[in-house]
Amino acid sequence: MEKLSLHINGQKKEIEVDPQIPLLWAIRDFVGLTGTKFGCGIAQCGACTVHLDGVPVRSCVIPSSAAAGKSVTTIEGLSKNNDHPLQLAWIAQQVPQCGYCQSGQIMSAAALLKTNPNPTDDDIDKAMSSVLCRCGTYPRIKKAIQQASKT
Amino acid sequence: METITRRKFIQLSSVTGAFLAIGCLPGAQGNEKLISGLVADPSKVDLNQFISIGKDNSIVLFNHRPEMGQGTYQSIPMILAEELEVDINTIEIRQSIASRDLYGSQMVVGSRSIQSEFDKLRKMGAAARELLKQAAANQWKINVSECKASNGKVFSESGKSLTYGELVVEAGKLTAPDNPPLKNREDFTIIGKSIPRSDIPLKTNGEAKFGIDISVPGMLYASIERSPQFLGEVKSFNEADILKLNGVRHVFKTSRAVYGNTREGVAILADNYWNALQARKALKIEWDTKGLEKVNNASILSDSYEAAKQEGDELFGKGDVKKAFDNSKNVIEASYETPYQAHVPMEPMNAIVSIKENEAEFWGSTQNPNGIRSFLAKTYQLPEESVKINYTFMGGGFGRRSMTDVVEEAADLSKKSGAPVKVIWTREDDQTQGPFRACSVNICRGVLDANGNVTALEHKVVAQEIQNQTGDNMTAGRQLMGGINTDYLIPNLSVKGVLRKRHIPISYWRAVYHSTNPFAHECFIDELARKANKDPIEFRLSMLDHPRYRRVLEDVAIRTNWKSPKKSGTGRGVAAVERSGAYFAMVVEVERKNGKVVPTKITTSIDLGICINPDTVKAQTEGSIVMGLGAVYTGLNVQNGAIVEQNFNTYPLLKINQCPEIETFILDSDAPPDGAGESGLPTVAPALANAIFDLTGKRIRKLPIDMGKVS
Repeated sequence: MEKLSLHINGQKKEIEVDPQIPLLWAIRDFVGLTGTKFGCGIAQCGACTVHLDGVPVRSCVIPSSAAAGKSVTTIEGLSKNNDHPLQLAWIAQQVPQCGYCQSGQIMSAAALLKTNPNPTDDDIDKAMSSVLCRCGTYPRIKKAIQQASKT
Repeated sequence: METITRRKFIQLSSVTGAFLAIGCLPGAQGNEKLISGLVADPSKVDLNQFISIGKDNSIVLFNHRPEMGQGTYQSIPMILAEELEVDINTIEIRQSIASRDLYGSQMVVGSRSIQSEFDKLRKMGAAARELLKQAAANQWKINVSECKASNGKVFSESGKSLTYGELVVEAGKLTAPDNPPLKNREDFTIIGKSIPRSDIPLKTNGEAKFGIDISVPGMLYASIERSPQFLGEVKSFNEADILKLNGVRHVFKTSRAVYGNTREGVAILADNYWNALQARKALKIEWDTKGLEKVNNASILSDSYEAAKQEGDELFGKGDVKKAFDNSKNVIEASYETPYQAHVPMEPMNAIVSIKENEAEFWGSTQNPNGIRSFLAKTYQLPEESVKINYTFMGGGFGRRSMTDVVEEAADLSKKSGAPVKVIWTREDDQTQGPFRACSVNICRGVLDANGNVTALEHKVVAQEIQNQTGDNMTAGRQLMGGINTDYLIPNLSVKGVLRKRHIPISYWRAVYHSTNPFAHECFIDELARKANKDPIEFRLSMLDHPRYRRVLEDVAIRTNWKSPKKSGTGRGVAAVERSGAYFAMVVEVERKNGKVVPTKITTSIDLGICINPDTVKAQTEGSIVMGLGAVYTGLNVQNGAIVEQNFNTYPLLKINQCPEIETFILDSDAPPDGAGESGLPTVAPALANAIFDLTGKRIRKLPIDMGKVS
């Protein structure tokens, strides 16, 4: 067990963990933010996507020690009042069904719009094709990203 | 629990924080006794309460069904609000407690929540409205017929008005009517409108809580290694080594029942989940696998075809199929195969249970809160009142969360350790342990007369049956024939079942046998249509006088310009299936793109009776199509008696870039509402396979389809 200082959603959090523990479990079980989800544990589904210094990463395979000194943004830190253009578009398009994968979907889409504010359909397909949704909300995810890119 | 009494009423009528509660005593379906009264705390009332109206005009509508994405979190309160005459966007929706005594079944399966609850919910909403109208009439000393309710107020013809909150005390003195008048459909202002779901904002910012997000003080985390061959028994394991590992508190042998079989495992209980997972990697278990390694894809398939030689049990029959086949020189035959599929809810299976001497408590996501309560009460010999169920949003269910097996594991480990235990399955556990959608072999035989009419058809299903997985009874049950359309006007028509029993466990998977049988049935109908040189939609219509089948098929033909010539390099296929009382006709269009055949558009016409929330029905149809398409592209393989595919890298779900354009048309109907949660799935595989034939001339009779090889 080691002391680890995480800079998460603009706040400093001191936790005591095995430095090998994936960032996902550090965030969920030690920091107590549960919006970031466990889906597969092998970086295949994207439910655990967070931003590390603004870059989307699969937190289920990144040791938490790799986040030391970097800025971590989770779904809880994407906006203050659930008013990120993507969150508004997600509500307008009524995207979620069960909702479980949607933190990862939104965080992946937010990273896409940051580097590509006006993505084409193909750009969206490429950026989002490794974020899985079992409920099948893909048609609405696409519409919501398009809507958010216009705002 | 608080009961409604006269004395209480007098105490409460002067208190500002009093509420009018309306619910009904549980009773036979359609025969519920409505009750109402004034209460101090609407969350602690001894009635299966659905509506609470405060003196402060606060209105709470209770949703008594768990939410897994199907959207009844919104559509159940919408039905109440419609009759109650309140603004659905200003009321509060709250999840009810789990209690079969109060609410009847709260299980969410088979797309039944709206179908089974519609009349009851309307009656309760209407009873509350009539109580409030009567209260206003009493206050104004006029006849209730001169009162009208709208938007949370009662109005008199002369223009006076009182809010519902102002009427609560007066209404609390009255007796709820048993048969209140219901609104006419043309007066609906909520039912039939696409109203945004109030759970959705919570699902965009991480606020929604799923079972896996819950922690309780002092809990231990468990990860369990189970036999890859399912029925393997634990002979020994390296307990002492594991106990030395970081964070490990206990190692226990555990077990759970799965449809009559006991399934063993070794559980590691640790101070956090990561430590439990790490220790599990060091676990060495010696299994007695009982020779089950001999089972593989090929052995299952050869067993199925061997079994198909049996006559089978007749599940449906009319005319004389045997005679028709004996008299024909040209019996057309085709066999179709479907693989095992895993449910794969995105939230891996999990449960927290605390077993104490005189009480038990569950926290988690479940389709079956009453089942868990009964299971814990029975297993630990507790009265149901001593078992508390805390159910959350589900991160997907698809049938998997109707079972209580994971709860059984958590309960066993809590009992053994003395602490609350949170069991979390890994994705690998989920995909390799099942239970799965049954694999099947379907043999279809048919006869066409000289005019190309079907004179005989036999469909034989060879598969395992969910409710008959152990024991000696080898008689096939009617469950096996789900999704086979016996409304086709074929004079000699027979559906037969040949029951198989295997060590690989199966369970309810979205649409159940409707998700496999129609692949064979609707493809075979298509094969017969082509042999008869007839248009597949015309061919179906010529055999159908069922009005709802006819209207969805006719509608989807119009929506897709079916009668116009198709573009070169494209193909289209059709299928129509009834599921949960809802009728779905689907056209899949395919196109050759860069040498590969891909589905480009899926159009569905639906008749599901009165539609509560059209956008939810569309969302469910989109979801069913995506899941159905995923089950066309992938399947599970069996080797060494175990499932091969461990995680998403080898068992991929459908991805956004594989999702075709989807268009859904809901046909207007006055009929009682039917289920929407699964009905879009059964048609996907046959309509796609039929479209591939239309384009390529090749029949695909085996799932999954490797689209890379279709040309």
